[in-house]
Amino acid sequence: MEMERLVVIWCPGLQEEGARGEEARRFVQVVARAGELCPWVHPVRLGVCALPARGPSRFFGGEEMVVSRLVEAVGEDAHIGVADGLFAAVLAARSQLIVPAKETAAFLAQWSVATLARPELAVTLQRLGVTSLGQFAALPGADVSDRFGADAAAAHSVARGRSGELAGLRDRSIERRLRVARGEDPDAGPEPPPYQPGFFGGTSAADSRAALSFARVQERLGVDAVLVGRVQGGRDPAEQATLVPWGSPAGGTGGTGGAVGAGGAVGAVGAPWPGRLPPPSPTEVLRVPQRAEVVDAAGAACQVSGRGLLNSELDRLSVNGGPWESVVAWAGPWPVTERWWSVRRRRARVQVVTVDGAARLLCTERAGWWVEALYD
Amino acid sequence: MFAFSADAIPSRRPRQLPAGLADRVRPTTPVAGRLLPVPAPLAPLFPEGSLRRGTTTTVSGQPGHGATTLALALLAAASQAGSWCAAVGLPDPGVVAAAELGIDLRRVVFVPHPGSGWAEAAGDLLSGVDVVLVRPPGRARLTAARHLTARARERQTALVVLVEHVSAWPEGGDLALSVGAVEWAGVGRGHGHLQGRRAEVRVSGRRSAGRVMECSLWLPAGSGAVAAAVEMEDGSGGTGPDKGPEAA
Repeated sequence: MEMERLVVIWCPGLQEEGARGEEARRFVQVVARAGELCPWVHPVRLGVCALPARGPSRFFGGEEMVVSRLVEAVGEDAHIGVADGLFAAVLAARSQLIVPAKETAAFLAQWSVATLARPELAVTLQRLGVTSLGQFAALPGADVSDRFGADAAAAHSVARGRSGELAGLRDRSIERRLRVARGEDPDAGPEPPPYQPGFFGGTSAADSRAALSFARVQERLGVDAVLVGRVQGGRDPAEQATLVPWGSPAGGTGGTGGAVGAGGAVGAVGAPWPGRLPPPSPTEVLRVPQRAEVVDAAGAACQVSGRGLLNSELDRLSVNGGPWESVVAWAGPWPVTERWWSVRRRRARVQVVTVDGAARLLCTERAGWWVEALYD
Repeated sequence: MFAFSADAIPSRRPRQLPAGLADRVRPTTPVAGRLLPVPAPLAPLFPEGSLRRGTTTTVSGQPGHGATTLALALLAAASQAGSWCAAVGLPDPGVVAAAELGIDLRRVVFVPHPGSGWAEAAGDLLSGVDVVLVRPPGRARLTAARHLTARARERQTALVVLVEHVSAWPEGGDLALSVGAVEWAGVGRGHGHLQGRRAEVRVSGRRSAGRVMECSLWLPAGSGAVAAAVEMEDGSGGTGPDKGPEAA
């Protein structure tokens, strides 16, 4: 079952109502301040409120941003956490952590069964040597249900990270108590704002800010100056990597959808990377390969034979007529896959490491050599 | 007494998180909001285990030693967490290499050839994204360096400067990472293939509290991502085709 990802604000000093009702009043303020940031913060019980993570995360540009904005809004006394489901999110808030999606069970495992707030169940489990949620989760579900009943089975499902809500976690009277604390008529107050999914859908503030800065650079330097990388795998024999201008309809808008920016020419401006070589891939793929010379110890040009073998050992490399560098290691040659319609050519790639520690990807055809890419 | 009151729940925290998950949870304490995540193998390089917003980090190294890999890797975790990033002045960037490093390509723009307008472009981007990587063409002028460092601080953007030598960024950074000696694994004299570059990385700078730290990293490892380098039992660095690093 897909659990809702929640942000929980947990206020350590406000969990219990004191004699003067101060805690409820302060909690009202926390809920109000958080509510200014996001319209559907809702109280769970005294000292704990929650909001859905997904919408605000898209709007503010990530869960960390949501958390940091909330911290600013509600103050440092509140602990904030994010996790799948309310039960885990409350514990995440107590630990001040963001628990990654789908890792709920692992996070819950080390907590005590006492966190379930079911004292009789906890005592029985502890007599059986089951003290942690992880140990509880490891028990077979059918056994738990048969032995301890439906409520324990529900708790078991929570411990396994399969559901997020647990009876008793929410205080149904909290809205009324807060109305009292606000000095409102407890029975006839305004309804809390209804959940509006999709309120935060679409482009977020962070996305707009980023897109604006990209457009500014494009105005200065041209549409082709700001590029987005794309890797397309699949059935194509040569895996293609390209760079397309930001804002081009070829998807050059990152993850935001919708074209932004001037309508420049659409197409690949980067060199396609014929990725048959295993990783790691080179960090610089030269659009214009550099002319090179590769010779053996005798000074004769190295060549790849018709059988795809090097005719001699590589000894020295010179790029663009520059100084000779000693070759300490090399690998290949790997024939370059050609498309069936191209004229048959004998091209091969060789990885070359020179004495200074630099590694390059070279391409050779007949006795000619070019540097195609650099590993830096 | 409400069942879930603070009294009912033991106040001691869980003793520890399972290994692995501990790397993947993110803290929500207020100071954490001013931090951006970095890939786990690079966390030891940073005083807080993360890139601090508003700071300038220089990454330097001889060409071919992996400084570009290290600088790009600093974008990986942040982009995956949803931060927008930009890389200015990296000519002909290897898109597949970026993806192998773990960069979310949907969150990163490249400005490979800004020409003489590199500093203005970097300045514009500092106002729009969370991490800017800039590679100045040669030695940067003091005024340009100061301006960008100040803009980064003001906008709470992390600035990463890639240079051949740390002297090419006259302002100095809050943190300086420099790549020293490197050794490739996996290639021999005519056999194997490049399977990883083991590099010595040195950390220094104002925010390292006067410490100078050195550590060994794979920049990158066989998978194309960065990884911590473990000492082999025989004290070797894991060189040669049989001792290539496992995929990270």
